[in-house]
Amino acid sequence: MISERERERYKRQMLLFGDDGQERLKKAHIFIAGAGGLGSPIALYLAVAGIGTLTIVDKDVVDQSNLNRQILHYDRDIGRKKTASAEEKLSEVNPDITVKVIDATIGASNAGTLIGNADGIVDAMDNYPTRYLLNDVAIEKNIPLFHGGIRGFYGQATTIIPYKTACLRCIFPHAPPQEVFPVVGVTPGFIGMIQATEVLKYLLGSGELLTNRLFIWDGMQAHAEEIALERNPRCAACGDSKNVKRKKK
Amino acid sequence: MWRFKEREEEEEMTVKVRFFARFRELFGTDIVTDAAPGTSFIDLIKKIAEKNREGYEAIFDTNGAFREFVILMKNGKRIDCTDAGKTLINDGDEIAVFPPVAGG
Repeated sequence: MISERERERYKRQMLLFGDDGQERLKKAHIFIAGAGGLGSPIALYLAVAGIGTLTIVDKDVVDQSNLNRQILHYDRDIGRKKTASAEEKLSEVNPDITVKVIDATIGASNAGTLIGNADGIVDAMDNYPTRYLLNDVAIEKNIPLFHGGIRGFYGQATTIIPYKTACLRCIFPHAPPQEVFPVVGVTPGFIGMIQATEVLKYLLGSGELLTNRLFIWDGMQAHAEEIALERNPRCAACGDSKNVKRKKK
Repeated sequence: MWRFKEREEEEEMTVKVRFFARFRELFGTDIVTDAAPGTSFIDLIKKIAEKNREGYEAIFDTNGAFREFVILMKNGKRIDCTDAGKTLINDGDEIAVFPPVAGG
């Protein structure tokens, strides 16, 4: 049930989706992988929208060079665990939600346990090996995955509904080389908002999701475009051979 | 002789190549280029990339094959890197070449 206090807090958005919509958000549990450039704005906006439970995983400590983009963390947090900093800010920005933080490195052995029975997985990672792990868990547990990636003024995003749409491996079968990527805060801010919007739409069950489409943003040209995607029947993560295995289980 | 040349000119194809992200920084946004009939996808991109050593090395490996993470599209359809040598270019094709961006 939505309390009177919540009704007042969410008044303006309940004009859009009513008691029913707000209730859906309140019941939801969203897993955010990373409290960095993408994770910061995503977590903040999902928190103020009233997502009932947010779980945020990060392994890092706040560094001064993070502060141009990781807006959950302040100058005073330098040297502090990102999870502790995130928990503090998010609980203050909305005390009516539950914020769980886990200080851990996401790996093959713990990804499934960390994600648990979340209703959605937000990819706010900075590398493909971990993204592929999130993708594997999303497929295994049939949980949607909201992908975003950035570099400089460029960004990309897509929404993955396992077995219905192209998965991350269908789209990107091979990881690009790791690098120290250039970035200005507005880019993860922008791409993070696309991911957060997708999460809300998915939970509300309204609108057209960014599925089977790769959204590509070029901030320098102020130009957005999209590329049509389709499932790869031979995909190593969600292809037909995997389907057979899954059915046999 | 003249007639032959005219025919050859008629057959010359125009193709639009679009790069994204880091590749766009190296090569520019949209490149409209001519291609002779029978040009393959990989030959077309090599012809453009050869003008920029850093760009060439970002896209191709030391054996001259597309680096495996590079995404190739022809008229909105995905082309597998391993098929790029046998995929022929047609007049008016729109080609896209891009790397996934990894930051977060």
